[in-house]
Amino acid sequence: MGILPDEIKPAMQGIFPSHVVTCSGDGIPNASSISQVYYVDADHVALSHQFFNKTTRNVRENPRALVWVINPETFETWDLEVEYDRSETEGPIFEVMDMQIEAIASMVGLKGIFKLRAADIYRVISATKNAAERPHP
Amino acid sequence: MHVGTRDAKLHPAHAFAAGAIVSEDRQTVTFLVAESVSGRILRDLRDNGRVAFTVGLVSHEAYQLKGTYASSRPADEQELALQEAYLAKLAAAARQVFPEEFATALIRAIPYRPSVAITFRVEEVFLQTPGPGAGSKLA
Repeated sequence: MGILPDEIKPAMQGIFPSHVVTCSGDGIPNASSISQVYYVDADHVALSHQFFNKTTRNVRENPRALVWVINPETFETWDLEVEYDRSETEGPIFEVMDMQIEAIASMVGLKGIFKLRAADIYRVISATKNAAERPHP
Repeated sequence: MHVGTRDAKLHPAHAFAAGAIVSEDRQTVTFLVAESVSGRILRDLRDNGRVAFTVGLVSHEAYQLKGTYASSRPADEQELALQEAYLAKLAAAARQVFPEEFATALIRAIPYRPSVAITFRVEEVFLQTPGPGAGSKLA
């Protein structure tokens, strides 16, 4: 049995942007939105790598990252502690993510800007549902 | 609005911020985080002070501020009112993208009371709008 429960899968459909926090080797955090967090299996996710940016540089210096996702059915949010494993530029995961990125880019009017360079595969260390939220008055 | 921190082992943490205030001298920003999700980032900030803070619009225009933790305290009534105004704007923005019922449910799910007001000194500002200029330092 893996770490990711089935109930987290809707949070990885790309309805809402997810967020990733990384940290450089010298201790500077970086927060960034990410178009797609793809469920690979119960112990791995793939993050869309569209630009060679600070997130990319950081995980090569320090592989730990924190991914925040939101379930569009329940609006529950999850924190995933993950560790960068490898990048794939071809193969089934890359191809599915490439198609999904194109669809997302069309929907949000960023076709031509969003282009998948790689599917970055991360090992999931933990998945934590955030504390129950207090309803608004 | 999203907050990033890290602990002594360089393991990152995240929190969603519901509202922020820029100081009059533009040297500091105070962001508001629900107390229920503030524990880890406050521990990190008191330990090493490093913070990344991102803000974005529906248009995808986005910025990241980086700096050093200054202080924290319970949010006051004035800040609570500011959060409610911020969430109303966020709801209006969400309705541009999502159906009314969905947008309303989304915004209602955002935790914000009680909140902690966390202030940091801004040291660097980066453009984060997707595109060729993303990541460029503005200040």
